Amino acid sequence: MTKRKLIIALAGNANVGKSVIFNHLTGLHQHIGNWPGKTVEKAEGTLYFKGYTIDVIDLPGIYSLSTYSLEELISRKFIAVENPDIVINVVDASVLERNLFFTLQLIELGAPMVIALNQMDIAKRKGIQINVKKLETLLGIPVIPTVAIKGIGIFQLLEKVIDIIEKKQLIKHVKIRYGEEIEEKIAKLTRIVEKMQFYYPPRYVAIKLLEGDEEIERELSKIDPKIISTAKKLAKEIEKLHGHSCTTVITSERYEVAGCIAREVQSLTPPIKPKIEETLHNLTTHRILGYPIMAIFLLSMFYAVFTFGGYTSEFLSSLFYGLEPSFQNFFGTGIIGKLIWGGVIEGVIAAVTIALPYIVPFYIVLYFLEDSGYLSRIAFLMDNVMHKMGLHGKAFIPLMLGYGCNVPACLGCRIMETKREKFLAAFVTTLVPCAARTVIILGLVGTFLGIQWALMLYVFNLLVIFILGRLAFKTLPGEPTALIMEMHDFKMPHIKTVLKQAWFRLAEFIKIAFPLIILGSLVIKIIEVLGLLETITAIFSPITVTWLGLPPETGITLIFGILRKELTLIMLTTIFGTTDYAQILSPFPQMVVFTLVTMFYIPCIATIAALVKEFGWKKALLITLFEIGFAIILGGIALRVFNVML
Amino acid sequence: MERRKTKGTEVPLIELKNGETGIVTSIRYTHGQHGGRAWGFKKRLMDMGLTPGTKVTVVKTAPFHGPLEILVRGSRLAIGRGMAQRIFVTRQKE
Repeated sequence: MTKRKLIIALAGNANVGKSVIFNHLTGLHQHIGNWPGKTVEKAEGTLYFKGYTIDVIDLPGIYSLSTYSLEELISRKFIAVENPDIVINVVDASVLERNLFFTLQLIELGAPMVIALNQMDIAKRKGIQINVKKLETLLGIPVIPTVAIKGIGIFQLLEKVIDIIEKKQLIKHVKIRYGEEIEEKIAKLTRIVEKMQFYYPPRYVAIKLLEGDEEIERELSKIDPKIISTAKKLAKEIEKLHGHSCTTVITSERYEVAGCIAREVQSLTPPIKPKIEETLHNLTTHRILGYPIMAIFLLSMFYAVFTFGGYTSEFLSSLFYGLEPSFQNFFGTGIIGKLIWGGVIEGVIAAVTIALPYIVPFYIVLYFLEDSGYLSRIAFLMDNVMHKMGLHGKAFIPLMLGYGCNVPACLGCRIMETKREKFLAAFVTTLVPCAARTVIILGLVGTFLGIQWALMLYVFNLLVIFILGRLAFKTLPGEPTALIMEMHDFKMPHIKTVLKQAWFRLAEFIKIAFPLIILGSLVIKIIEVLGLLETITAIFSPITVTWLGLPPETGITLIFGILRKELTLIMLTTIFGTTDYAQILSPFPQMVVFTLVTMFYIPCIATIAALVKEFGWKKALLITLFEIGFAIILGGIALRVFNVML
Repeated sequence: MERRKTKGTEVPLIELKNGETGIVTSIRYTHGQHGGRAWGFKKRLMDMGLTPGTKVTVVKTAPFHGPLEILVRGSRLAIGRGMAQRIFVTRQKE
């Protein structure tokens, strides 16, 4: 018996329908996690077809296989090192030239491949007809036309994959030939590289060396540093000949080949439909109308999520708390019963009543925005504002989601390109007052000092975000941020894909967050049961009483706030037995100081979990500790400033 | 590949008015400015299709000195102003 296990990788540009195809292929057998140790998403799924167990990996959507982003590096390493049996290159038929540029690089990487020529319907509407047979011959690769969103062509695609594997059909891709003077240099380098053991094919390495690829230079210099200088010399010769750097010449020629192929297989006719997409694009990026449209759209989105979330959250907690009496009957109200209920079960309730009602819908919103194409328009409009805090337009989305809940916002920072951008965006996002913090701002300051004070706090918060964002941008080493993105045509997202992705991403998050949340609430419950709260209050009193000028009990509430921010307020009620907070805290300055501290002092435990998931323990801890320190310092300064003013 | 000698004067892409078209002549990222990343940026722009000899049309600019919307090789891109200052083009007269 031969092993009937296969590995298929999906590769292609962003927004070409790769994940829709992935969803068609794998159905519910999928797992969305991260690449080991990286902030890049890895979607993996299993498919059973004609007796084969097929592992499908959805590689990140990228435009090239150089080393600009982590995504590009991971993708090309995966293809070269893990050697998938087939790479399905998903190509957008409506933007053929740009997509073929990527295809050509896959060919150079020597991957066995099949092309899924997707979005044939959009191409047709744009008036682009493609001669599939001709494309097959020109590339030497089987091409299957698909309309993934309607499921058309997926079966044929799979059959083709199996067919190739069973017949051991060798795919003879065409060799992309560069100009003679370049070919000669590639040949020279290839001969040297051939003698080395390296995971990329020799010709590929030779080309990349001429292009000055950083990763390959680094790796090769460990084996034979001489080859780098040889390559540099050869590259210089080309530069002298052409008047452009060698990278430029090679990239241009590659694009030229892609363009030639595209022109040869396409025939253009006038577009069939008057383009609604065009009108939508013009409206959403309009210099005046664009902003109100964005505001209305986002606000109604928020409103919908909160209405849904509030209702569901309440329903779920009443459901859980309804079980409390029968639980107490069973476990009793002794220490064990208290620990299990108050520690474990309440932790689960907290997690479930936040995660399901808020995180899921925000996830759906995020991926809906991304897949439909609206996200890139918003990024276009907001780019300049975001630059002020050292980020670019795309970061506006996670930042905005942060006002709902920091958790999906932090997880959403993956839409940024580089590691540094992702981390910066996540840091800034955790400073945004989420819904729970809004409860405190409005419940304390808004109610007792007036709404104008609450608004001032929001403005102050924004100011802090800008300043800290800028400082972090200046301090963190790395490349400057600049926006370059495709604004693909508006399209209706594939709802099933969006829903499934939101669901599987949540599952991944729950695995990390739930244990942490339960552990956290258990620890706090143990402290409470053991009667240690008084001790803690005393330990914290130098900070809470002396430095911040707050009642000593706030030490406890701030600890509980780590679990859920609104607990800081709820615990005040529990401890003092009143909701008239004016009896507990003087409106001015105590309430303001207390709110300020709560606003900044720590992302809640679920957010910390999200940070851990994306960036690892160290960076999560770094953000957490920084924010605790920052909030305490800020609160103390605020108190003293207020005292002087009064 | 066609390599025309540059006709007319080169200007940064950012100087093109809305609706104007230019041909890319070069991308100028000096090494001192961004250290090792200069290569990355230049490569990134070219990977997105902005190689010398390519036709670029500026569609519009986002308000408040925002990014540019451009048409390159049949697709629509948004690029930040910083990048647009470093892409040099020759104006094409219609």
